Amino acid sequence: MSTLVFSKSNRKDAAMTDVPWKRYLNRVLWYATLLGVSVPFVFPFIWMVSGSLKSQSEITAFPPTIIPETFRWENYVEIFQYQPFAQQYFNSLYIAVVVTISIMFVASLAGYAFAKIKFKGANLVFLLLLSGLMMPEEVTIIPNFFAMSTLNLMNSHVPLILLPVFGSQGIIATFLMRQFFMSIPNEVEEAGIMDGLSRFGVFWRIALPLSGPALAAVAILSFLHSWNLLLEPLVFVSDLDKFTVPLALNNFSDAYGLPLWHLQMAATSLAVIPVLLIYVIAQRHIVQSFAMTGVKG
Amino acid sequence: MLSVVLKTFGDLMSALVSQKKNLFSGETLSGWLFISPMMFGFLCFFIIPVIAIFGYSVTEWNILSQDSTFVGLQNYQEIFTENEEFWLVVRNSLVFAGGLVPLNIALALVLALALNQKFTGVVFFRTVYFAPVITAGAAWAIVWSFLLQKESGGVNQLLALIGIDGPNWLREPNWAMFAVIMTRVIKNVGLNMILYLAALQSISPDYVEASSLDGATPWQRFRHIIWPLLAPTTLVISIVTVVGSLKVFDHIYLMTGGGPESGTLVLAYYIYERAFEFFEIGYASALAVILFVLTLVLTVGQWLLKQKEQ
Amino acid sequence: MIMRFIKLTTAALALGMTAGVSQADDLRFTVWTGSEAHLSMLNEFADGFKATHPNTNITFETIPFADYVQKISLQIGGGNPPDMGWMLEGTAPTFIQSNILADVSDTLQATANYNFEDLSPSAMGLWQKDDAVYGVPFSTSPFVIFYNQSLLDAAGLDNPNELHAKGEWTWGALRDMADTLADAEQGIYGFETMDGQGYDGRVWEVLVPLVRSYGGDVWQGDTCTLNSATAVEAVQVYHDMIFKDQSAVPPGEMGDFFNGKAALTYTQISRASKLDEADFDWGIAPMPSGKAGSAPIIGQAAVVVFKDSPNRALAEEFLAYMTNEAGVARMAEFFPPARASVLGSDAFLNSNSRLTPSAMRIVANEINNGSVMPSHVNMPVIKSATRGTFDKLWKADADIEAVFTEACSRINKQLTRK
Repeated sequence: MSTLVFSKSNRKDAAMTDVPWKRYLNRVLWYATLLGVSVPFVFPFIWMVSGSLKSQSEITAFPPTIIPETFRWENYVEIFQYQPFAQQYFNSLYIAVVVTISIMFVASLAGYAFAKIKFKGANLVFLLLLSGLMMPEEVTIIPNFFAMSTLNLMNSHVPLILLPVFGSQGIIATFLMRQFFMSIPNEVEEAGIMDGLSRFGVFWRIALPLSGPALAAVAILSFLHSWNLLLEPLVFVSDLDKFTVPLALNNFSDAYGLPLWHLQMAATSLAVIPVLLIYVIAQRHIVQSFAMTGVKG
Repeated sequence: MLSVVLKTFGDLMSALVSQKKNLFSGETLSGWLFISPMMFGFLCFFIIPVIAIFGYSVTEWNILSQDSTFVGLQNYQEIFTENEEFWLVVRNSLVFAGGLVPLNIALALVLALALNQKFTGVVFFRTVYFAPVITAGAAWAIVWSFLLQKESGGVNQLLALIGIDGPNWLREPNWAMFAVIMTRVIKNVGLNMILYLAALQSISPDYVEASSLDGATPWQRFRHIIWPLLAPTTLVISIVTVVGSLKVFDHIYLMTGGGPESGTLVLAYYIYERAFEFFEIGYASALAVILFVLTLVLTVGQWLLKQKEQ
Repeated sequence: MIMRFIKLTTAALALGMTAGVSQADDLRFTVWTGSEAHLSMLNEFADGFKATHPNTNITFETIPFADYVQKISLQIGGGNPPDMGWMLEGTAPTFIQSNILADVSDTLQATANYNFEDLSPSAMGLWQKDDAVYGVPFSTSPFVIFYNQSLLDAAGLDNPNELHAKGEWTWGALRDMADTLADAEQGIYGFETMDGQGYDGRVWEVLVPLVRSYGGDVWQGDTCTLNSATAVEAVQVYHDMIFKDQSAVPPGEMGDFFNGKAALTYTQISRASKLDEADFDWGIAPMPSGKAGSAPIIGQAAVVVFKDSPNRALAEEFLAYMTNEAGVARMAEFFPPARASVLGSDAFLNSNSRLTPSAMRIVANEINNGSVMPSHVNMPVIKSATRGTFDKLWKADADIEAVFTEACSRINKQLTRK
């Protein structure tokens, strides 16, 4: 497995060393272009935060303002009065944590077996598993709906945990873990077996402790996947108290469906900004986790 | 209770392995035990459901009346011959994929090439272009539908600064499709950019240097050296992006609801709508079968293409 | 780490397992309101019911309005119906036909002093089939005009009630008024349709009042009549307001009457609660007349019991308790009642602190003369099949008749489908 290193290219562009003012102009154009391209990536976040601090009448005002006339911090209080947003936020958090831990556990077990244990049927089963990797959730959501109904799990969080763990996200994780374990030399494990460890012991005591980076990547991807889930909550959850954040965001409308943009933007900011902050701090790790998913097998 | 299961699970495996000291043979049972949690779930929530949709698809089954009758291939017949809406959905899905995939890949490549240069601020720009990837799709779609309002929307305000009277983005079928494609590209292009960047950085500088000495122009260098070396990455990216475009749900659900004039009704959303808003389980399952086959054909097709190339 | 994982998972599983299963005496009651005032009133009913049924716990579950029918249907389809809940008029025929609702007539007849005859027959129309009763309306709320008196004063115009008194309150008058009051500079529109949503799923709430007041209707029997000259003429008025006068809030934009950004709108009186902080004077008036006079429209909501409820008998008793005379009078604070005795009472005229007795008289009048929105067994499909077609109306150069003809060809298929 290749790891992504953001090394700087040591190649120099010959064309840029010609004339000083030309080089300067090139620089300016270069940054101007990159900044210009940044606009659609950054502007939504700015607009979101700006909208979140406006009053309901200012937000529909024409022409709109980027910096609100008066900062309405009350919006951030009102969202919690409008619906049980704290509960909903907690729901999303704990579901994402359970999903992440479950995936780490299930996927590292399976990934280890596919990488290290030679057993009958392994290839066939792995192939079958991979067939689920790309499949849209919409294909299986209907039977899963009836399955969950039969198990009396409608309007609960269990489907929101089970489906991602055993759906495409779990498969991606299995795949990543398998790739990682394959890179561990067999000699390391043989030593463990000499010491009398069982197969599970080898996995638990030797292989797993070595797999920190891969597990971290799996954790990051799984958490975000669960945090962002929309279709499953939409189908399985109906009670406001059991909503997750994405569902709740779409529910900031008055009782009759007209969007309350100012509250919606405040709630969206609360959902997005913590994740963004963590991303900015740990961006190297996070970006690398995503990069791993593209490594070809 | 679970802790017991877990312990038994571990004990079983220990027992198994301690009998056979050989690392590389006779581990079939332990292998199956390791994969059993994953495979049990996969069987329950993927394999069986996939088989089930084939079964559902030959019934007429309304969720409310709670009884289903076998109707053979009638749903498929209705989809392909009687329902004009389905062909509109097919057209929309093609337009969506056809617009999104090339745009996404081209933009990703350009950004990756740019960020592969040496300059101050490269980390900043990488952080910026990748930020939407980690942002919740629902949040992204909601903010954009706010931005794309006709008069008070931020986009038209920006356009007005340079003298353009922006359209009513989410209200006119062609603009709505364009808007959904663009917002989706901006949301996900960072991922492909990173994959390209990783590939670019694994290209040995010697290759490139050698060609510059030969007097190749930057374009020639890209066309004849870099682009061919990126081919495997491009293939992986294409598969993921094409299939990803079939899955699009949250943008459609939150931004347009399939409208206006059904102009953004795409297959994945259409399945949801038929099943969970109009409760036509049989019909929606037939659509799900179509999506299943389509995804399979596309994935396997591209994979075969890759095998052939190698 | 492993132990924590196990604990969390078991907790999650246990949470889920108990969620769907209701105890013997627990009633699950679904509503679409999240308003604390509404919920505390509902909880009063639950407490009152406890006096005679000490072991009964009633929980009110809020499902957002936009998804209400969908979520309820999914719960029913999945075999976990709520015990009882609110139900909108448009869904009634589908649900009755699908045999989902319980016939509560026996329970109502057996309830002492229920006074069933007091429920107005026109309001009960949708909920009765032969001798069976599938629900009792708790809210029969007419569409009324809300106007911004401050803007009218500034422009020196008569308000809609004054015009109504002179017999001049027509759609034409509304159009002129909106045109005068619209002020693009200030971002103020003349007119906003119901809840500002006339272009999407609730296009019907825009078309029906117009078309009926001009003497047409969306269908008669099994035939769609939306493409008649009357209907086209009626909708043309509104179309002109958007595209010629530019006085009505156009598609994709938001006006907001309740924040002073639109001079006129029509909606139901429960929205008056959104005007508590309004910095302008306002009033309500009857809907304007069309060529065929006035044709008030009533939105209706009923309490129903689901047939497959495990506690059906108990749920039926609670329904009877909520909708007896005292219960209906209590709910009249928010929901105009379907009981003749309550509707005519002074108590009703004074029941809404936000509206004067004379305003409440307008409400009572509209209820007495109103008709409900169209409904049909295939209504959900009709709505979906015409959604894309109606979108074509909202263009400056739209050919309304052609659009309606296309809509009718789709509607006719569903009207005759069994």
